[in-house]
Amino acid sequence: MGINLFQILNGLTFAALLFIVASGFTLIFGLLRIVNLAHGALYLFGGLVGYSAAQATGSFVLGTLAAMACVALLGVALDQGLLRFVRGVELRQVLLTLGIAFVLNDLGLVIWGGDTYTMPVPDALRGAARIGPLFYPKFRLFVLGLGIVVFAALWLLINRTRLGALIRAGVDDPEIVEAMGINIRRVFLGTFALGAALAGLGGAVGGAFLTLYPGADAEILVFSLAVVIIGGRGSLVGAGVGALLVGLLNAIGQVLFPELAYFVIFGPMALILAFRPLGLFGRTA
Amino acid sequence: MLEIRDLHSFYGDAHVLHGASLDVRPREVVALLGRNGMGKTSLIRSVMGLSTPQVRGGSVAWKGEAITGLRAHEVAERKIALVPQGRRLFPSLTVTEHLTMLKPARNAASWTVERVFSLFPRLAERRNNRGNQLSGGERGMLAVGRALMLDPELILMDEPSEGLAPVMVQHLEGVIAGLKAEGLGILLVEQNLYSALAVADRVYVLETGRVVFEADAAAVAADPDRLTRYLGVH
Repeated sequence: MGINLFQILNGLTFAALLFIVASGFTLIFGLLRIVNLAHGALYLFGGLVGYSAAQATGSFVLGTLAAMACVALLGVALDQGLLRFVRGVELRQVLLTLGIAFVLNDLGLVIWGGDTYTMPVPDALRGAARIGPLFYPKFRLFVLGLGIVVFAALWLLINRTRLGALIRAGVDDPEIVEAMGINIRRVFLGTFALGAALAGLGGAVGGAFLTLYPGADAEILVFSLAVVIIGGRGSLVGAGVGALLVGLLNAIGQVLFPELAYFVIFGPMALILAFRPLGLFGRTA
Repeated sequence: MLEIRDLHSFYGDAHVLHGASLDVRPREVVALLGRNGMGKTSLIRSVMGLSTPQVRGGSVAWKGEAITGLRAHEVAERKIALVPQGRRLFPSLTVTEHLTMLKPARNAASWTVERVFSLFPRLAERRNNRGNQLSGGERGMLAVGRALMLDPELILMDEPSEGLAPVMVQHLEGVIAGLKAEGLGILLVEQNLYSALAVADRVYVLETGRVVFEADAAAVAADPDRLTRYLGVH
């Protein structure tokens, strides 16, 4: 069985979802230097909140916004309530975010149980669209478009706005940004909230076509880590290219070497790391 | 205007400032001299409220208000700007972005990007270059320009002439004199005695974290031998 357009589209739409999740991860890592292992848990928790909100309101859009808002607030609470006490101590940050992931996942089990949920999608995005000879799910095409929109919006934010300049300057040299009269902690906090909101957005749209179940957080986290490691920590373009590579390799791997599907992703990742330890678009700090 | 009294600062357990005291009066250029490792940069960083070194004794007052213990952005909000040692430009930002990252001017007398460009025409030519794509002289100009965008009343300059060619040092001296004429106070850390004397009203010498010498620049210029023994220049 060869590769056809259907599988390529599957790879691209998965890549779009991965980008949405991984862009939040890389944004937080780039500025705050936090390897946020709770990012997957924020994805799943956001998806579940989005599911409940969408059920209650009957609106996919409201459910998605609820997921983003809830996870952004959660991110602010985690940053201000917990992470501020371990600033600058990398190992403690990583362990703390891992602990947060466990707590959030168990909280999800308590509230929603261990069932599998599918985020309901609006009627307009149900069914299939015709592309040439092929019928393809409309919702997955929507996710592909959403990924592109999120990339463009983030790129413009980072490269064309004053806030984006502050974020870039903060990545370069936070102390000097502070000495220019800018409360860098507020920039950090806003960035953390934005990165978390992107995890929530990913949870809501991913919950519609990958479904939400216990363990979905770890799967998306592993893929996001691969994206960020391949693309280069803190690089938006890197996250885009990394997501495309991982998404397409995953689709190809599942078709051509189903028993080696993970190796098809992590083999090339190891190879890239051997020659470019900072990833394709990574820079030294 | 700026009154530093009996300041004690520490890097961890290392005591770097041992009761330093000095003043900067309005419209005054004060040079802070001393050999390497005597605490000049530590003093500047302590005044600015940066996280290290840690101030554990003494006080810094600005226009009568105690600013000891404030965070750096709060110090900067009081119109004290920093030209840090080594310039510390942002490699990810263009020249223009260095000057526009703060909120735009609030009043007519404020510094604007255009005004910085007219003071440093070289920077206007380089406006789209990034912080790491500039020559040494341009870096120095941008570090000063960036500080001016804060509309400061006092600038803390930590070795702005470091690594500059003599012609650029002269240019910088002209800029400092011009800023003084506009009414700014400047606390200038210098390695080079003669460059400091060219612009300063008064000089202090720091030795192992204390002020050991203080005089009017004119008096020192008349009899530099009084000073050179502290600096190890002969």
